[in-house]
Amino acid sequence: MDPILKIDSLKKYYGKPGSQTKALDGITFQVMPGEFLGIMGSSGSGKSTLLNCIATVTRPDAGTMTMGHRQVQKLKGASLAKYRGQEIGYLFQNFELLDNLTGEENILLPLSIHNVPEAEGRKRLEQLAGYLEITDVYDKFPAQMSGGQRQRVGAARALILNPKIVLADEPTGALDSRSAKALMEKLAGLNRERQATILMVTHDSNAASYCGRILFIQDGRIFHELRRNLPEESRQAFYQRILKVTAQLGGGSENVL
Amino acid sequence: MFFKLVSRNSRRNRKENGLFFASLLVTIVAFYIILALPRQDVMLFLAKMESNAVDRLLGMIPLFFGVTLFILFFLVYFAQKYQMERRRHEFGVYLMLGMPRRKLFGMLLLEDFGGSLLALAIGVPVAVLLSELISLVTARFVGLGIIGHSFSFSPGAVLWTAVGFLLIKLAAFLILSGRVVRQEIGSLLVGMPEGMKKQLPGPVYGLALALGTVCLGSAYRMGIIGISWYRVKGMGLTLLLGVLGTMLFFFGLRAGLGVLARRGGKDRQLHVFNFRQLQESVIQRSNTLAVSSLLMLAALCFCGAGVGIAGFYQENGRHVLDYTFGEGGREDMDQIMESLKENNLDGYFSELFEIRLGRIRSTENDSPFQMETVLSALAEKKETDDRNSLIGTLEYATEPRLIALSGYNHLLTVAGYPPLELAEGEAAVYLDSETVYSPLMDQVLEERPEVMLAGRKLILTGKAQTVNFVTDRAVRLSFALILPDDMFAEFAREDSDTIYLNGVLNMERFPGESLMNAIAQINEKLDKIELNYESFLQNMGRQIFYMVAASYLTLYLAIVFLIIANTVIGVQFLMGQRKSDRRYKTLIHLGATQEVLCRSVGKQISWYFGIPTFVAIVSSIFGVRALFTGLLPARVSGSVGGMMGVSAAMILILVVIEWIYIAAVRRSSRRYLLTLMVPEREE
Repeated sequence: MDPILKIDSLKKYYGKPGSQTKALDGITFQVMPGEFLGIMGSSGSGKSTLLNCIATVTRPDAGTMTMGHRQVQKLKGASLAKYRGQEIGYLFQNFELLDNLTGEENILLPLSIHNVPEAEGRKRLEQLAGYLEITDVYDKFPAQMSGGQRQRVGAARALILNPKIVLADEPTGALDSRSAKALMEKLAGLNRERQATILMVTHDSNAASYCGRILFIQDGRIFHELRRNLPEESRQAFYQRILKVTAQLGGGSENVL
Repeated sequence: MFFKLVSRNSRRNRKENGLFFASLLVTIVAFYIILALPRQDVMLFLAKMESNAVDRLLGMIPLFFGVTLFILFFLVYFAQKYQMERRRHEFGVYLMLGMPRRKLFGMLLLEDFGGSLLALAIGVPVAVLLSELISLVTARFVGLGIIGHSFSFSPGAVLWTAVGFLLIKLAAFLILSGRVVRQEIGSLLVGMPEGMKKQLPGPVYGLALALGTVCLGSAYRMGIIGISWYRVKGMGLTLLLGVLGTMLFFFGLRAGLGVLARRGGKDRQLHVFNFRQLQESVIQRSNTLAVSSLLMLAALCFCGAGVGIAGFYQENGRHVLDYTFGEGGREDMDQIMESLKENNLDGYFSELFEIRLGRIRSTENDSPFQMETVLSALAEKKETDDRNSLIGTLEYATEPRLIALSGYNHLLTVAGYPPLELAEGEAAVYLDSETVYSPLMDQVLEERPEVMLAGRKLILTGKAQTVNFVTDRAVRLSFALILPDDMFAEFAREDSDTIYLNGVLNMERFPGESLMNAIAQINEKLDKIELNYESFLQNMGRQIFYMVAASYLTLYLAIVFLIIANTVIGVQFLMGQRKSDRRYKTLIHLGATQEVLCRSVGKQISWYFGIPTFVAIVSSIFGVRALFTGLLPARVSGSVGGMMGVSAAMILILVVIEWIYIAAVRRSSRRYLLTLMVPEREE
């Protein structure tokens, strides 16, 4: 099976030589179709820079990112817009719903940006909204929704154009633990039942325990990799293993979250 | 270092907020133009002829200046507010870094002062040039080429412009910066979210929209059928309905925009987003939009009134005769002619001819003239103010003056019209052009009505005549009969002749001179021989004065209003855009390219400007018509075509001005979007 996304020797340095910050220092990994991959690391480890590079918000200094047969870092103009809108779906930490649009309008926004007729997205909207249990917030504005509802609307928006991969940037970061659990169960369900490929950056070990594989990043490099032994390993057990690794991150207990 | 920061900030402000700087320039130009009015050619010229009226008008300038100062204060305040808002975060950083508040205040004050000086340095020369141009154009427009030009630079006006400008700038600055500098650092750094306004149930807005439309409709109707002009109460009610209607309309507009967002064109790129953005702007600022729309309407109405009044006087003042000598009897005229010849003055005239007026010979009848046929024909016409006032005048015309055809035909020839041809037993009607004439009379005369003059039947024929028969505008006849010379001799009382000797200057005798100079030279000569005369200049002076005073001030106000309305709309849009920067960033994340965003914002801008402009245009079509109904006499308001022409021209100008503003705001917003496109590091 070919990987969906191949990251090869990705580098991103900030600052001038001498006082450089190596946000990404030659990272290499692959994401397989239907995988739920977690990226963990402490603040400043480079995980957000990695996500930003894949989302084409930041341009890497060196290395390649390949999706299908295309080099993501070389995309420009219309193909870049198509990549951002239709090949990746982005789930934000702070939801980033447009507060003057209703729930339904927010979910359908990518269609509007990419000139996809609404009728095409309608069926998918109903499936997603039904699964994510947000049909009752169709006509509500974000201010009238709970945090969990907002993030699930955000998830529906990220998935509406059926992207090859969903990039989730700390999706539980702004949620209380109950809402976070509900969201993660839904994301894991989408991954398990609908083969949605998800790449999630988080430093929440609990959220990470829903993943099938976790890459730990430190100082711009991959420091460790964990794989959940499915089906025998329980989420609880996997969680314990994650905690152990996070305890070692940075070489001491001061970095344990 | 401090001054370097100040100068760098000022430069950046100008670059980033061109709209604000442009509005400062406009303010300066507006101040100078109003203050330099006394130095305009037309005013200098009029001061010689009509010094009292001109003094009175010029005495009003300080008041006018004060009003302009007050109005433009809001413009500066608004534009500056936008400037301050966008720099909040920067101010927060300065304070965070330990800059004392007093120093921040001082820095802003210096920046502001520097900007003001630069605006003055650019604005004053522009204003002087523009004022010069206006002086030349108005001179040409009103003076029919009779006025010699002199440079109108006025140091006093420059001084007062600078003082007034700095004053309002300082006032706006103190209010705004005082507010910003006093704020908590935290709130400066975080930025101010726009407070959501409380929403009422949907049908309320629909109702407001409907009610607003009804109010506007009634106001239009009252204006056009003339109810507004009968009494102050009527006018007050019309204005109240109009203002209230516009406010309600804009208040309710959110319902309409919501429907547009939900329905129609959903598959168009970012359609829903665009309309939700618009809807939000309308919700947040419906009153400002309504006021802007009303300002535009006021501008269009002022413009319409100005053009209408100017056109009215210009048409009225069609210049035919340069001189009238007299009035008097046969002997007087011979004497005048003789003294002109004696002093070799007759050679200066290309035409010298007499107009003879007479009274009807007394008969046994009580009323020597009866025209029941005309009155009943008029009574059958549709009832209008125009008709009623014509009937009112004609009912009392029982002893009209008579005019001899030969002299009148000479006048027509000089004016470039074909002479009248009257058969035996026919007469033509003369009506005063300003106060009596109505196209209705022409319709009646087409039927060749029969009337009785001193017991004999007479047929009225031809079109009603309106060419002024003397130079002096104070001499008027509301209704008279033009008779062929032999009939004139028969019907006019012998001793009742009033003769006017009219003259037209022979400009070949004054090579290279303007008409004003030619008349001035002849006046000097005539004054020496003590002849009783009236020249074109004295009369035109009065006419031009009214025309200039009315059109100049109305057009001036129109421009000021238009600029304020547009700047307010533009600045508000840009402010709103800045506040929704997160939304644009989200769109970029979701794959919107710069072109997509620019197109989307372009559409929003067009709608945002378009809605108030459209409402103003619709209202102005009715408003200008109503103004013409109320202000201008029947002679002018009769020509619906001409009126619509004026409206169309004004609307076209408005559209062009809006287009310029839209282009400027688009440019500004595109530049802002570009800054959002640059990826930022989020760790």
